[in-house]
Amino acid sequence: MSGREFFTERYRRLGWEYQTVELKQTIRINAANVKKRLGLIKRLQNLGMVLTKVPFLENGFWVEQSRFSAGATTEYLSGLYSIQEAAAQVPATLFTELKDKVVLDACAAPGGKTTQLADLMQNTGAIAALDINRQRLTALSNHLERCRVKNTIVHQLDARRVSRLKTGFDRILLDMPCSGNFATDRNWFKRRTIKDVEINAALQREILTETVKMLEHNGEIIYSTCSLEPEENELNVDWAIKSLGMRVEEISCYGQEGLTEVFGKNLEESVGNCVRIWPGQTQGFFVCKLRKSESA
Amino acid sequence: MIKPIDDFMRLFGASISLDESLIVKKKNRYFLLGTSLKKVTLEDFFYAGTYLGKIKNGKFFPGFELLRMMSEKRANKVVVNKKTEWLFICGRDVFKRGIVNAIGLGRKGDHVLVLNGYGECLGFGRVISDLDKEGAFIKNISDIGDFLRREPRTPKSSTLY
Repeated sequence: MSGREFFTERYRRLGWEYQTVELKQTIRINAANVKKRLGLIKRLQNLGMVLTKVPFLENGFWVEQSRFSAGATTEYLSGLYSIQEAAAQVPATLFTELKDKVVLDACAAPGGKTTQLADLMQNTGAIAALDINRQRLTALSNHLERCRVKNTIVHQLDARRVSRLKTGFDRILLDMPCSGNFATDRNWFKRRTIKDVEINAALQREILTETVKMLEHNGEIIYSTCSLEPEENELNVDWAIKSLGMRVEEISCYGQEGLTEVFGKNLEESVGNCVRIWPGQTQGFFVCKLRKSESA
Repeated sequence: MIKPIDDFMRLFGASISLDESLIVKKKNRYFLLGTSLKKVTLEDFFYAGTYLGKIKNGKFFPGFELLRMMSEKRANKVVVNKKTEWLFICGRDVFKRGIVNAIGLGRKGDHVLVLNGYGECLGFGRVISDLDKEGAFIKNISDIGDFLRREPRTPKSSTLY
């Protein structure tokens, strides 16, 4: 079961009509490295970059036009900004408080969200950034060096083995390995099958199960994917509520409320607190905030 | 443990007091950790805190954050114009006509940091002939364009695990 028709029919049944999307490049200002934000924007404009503010992001700007590659300016190489898709900038901003916290970025490479977390933390506290793939860790380390991140330690470690770190975490970012979506992958419909989706959903549940054990009292988990498939999103969150004793907190961000009815199956009402972003202005995305419920 | 770092800084007439108890050597690479990071540091890490540099073939190669830290203190440095800034991060040498200001020594063999007009450190080089002489230039040793040159060696970001 695969192909454009199969998946777009699923999206229609979930309430969204398929449309092609043209994504704009987005940059994120690394506020901790920039003394005057306006000064940086002027510098980029002088280079011929036309920027518009992303209305739902504090530090996000769409690159409408540019004479240079946005990834080859002195400003980029000096870590004053990063290139990060607009929806992907949302998860890290949803934590209640980050300064001086001990944070886990469980599936961190290539590091866009890790550097964003460090920026939001103003390089205080500590981030443990994990990834399983050594080559991707090199890309992550390069990002950290370029963005002048000081508070992060990188381990080559499967997120399912996180207990080896022998420390609890106040905040956990689970930007899960997922099936992705067609907006960022031209061949997505050709490459993906429902079997892939199910395999990824199972892996996500395993990661969730192990990382929840490391969450400190009153800790927060941000769970996100760039998949549109409910198996990796609402259905997994519904499972986390029932099987791991998690609760879904309300969040305020760009997007629509999560689905509480998926292909005829009714889910826990609080799954509606999740946020689903259908492709359009941004790529497709899903995000929610989880806490351990009192009884867990 | 930090002798190679101190020796390197001395080439620029620079000196930064680094807390040795917070410096960790991992194989041939040096990292500076913050106190809160030290609490969660396992022995077997891939990268941690601030990357200071590495030893390769008996020589110390600095990380860019170490150069930036040095540029904020007293050290040999030159400020270059916009055109030279771009050429330098593309790996080219710095010629005398591209230098707007020189601070510290500029004699043959000296090491100098190269900064742009905003005071941002772009890398460093070695003076090939005295900077007050005609035709002087600084040989590019390392520049921040290296972040781009490293990229083909690392996989592109992917949504897959």
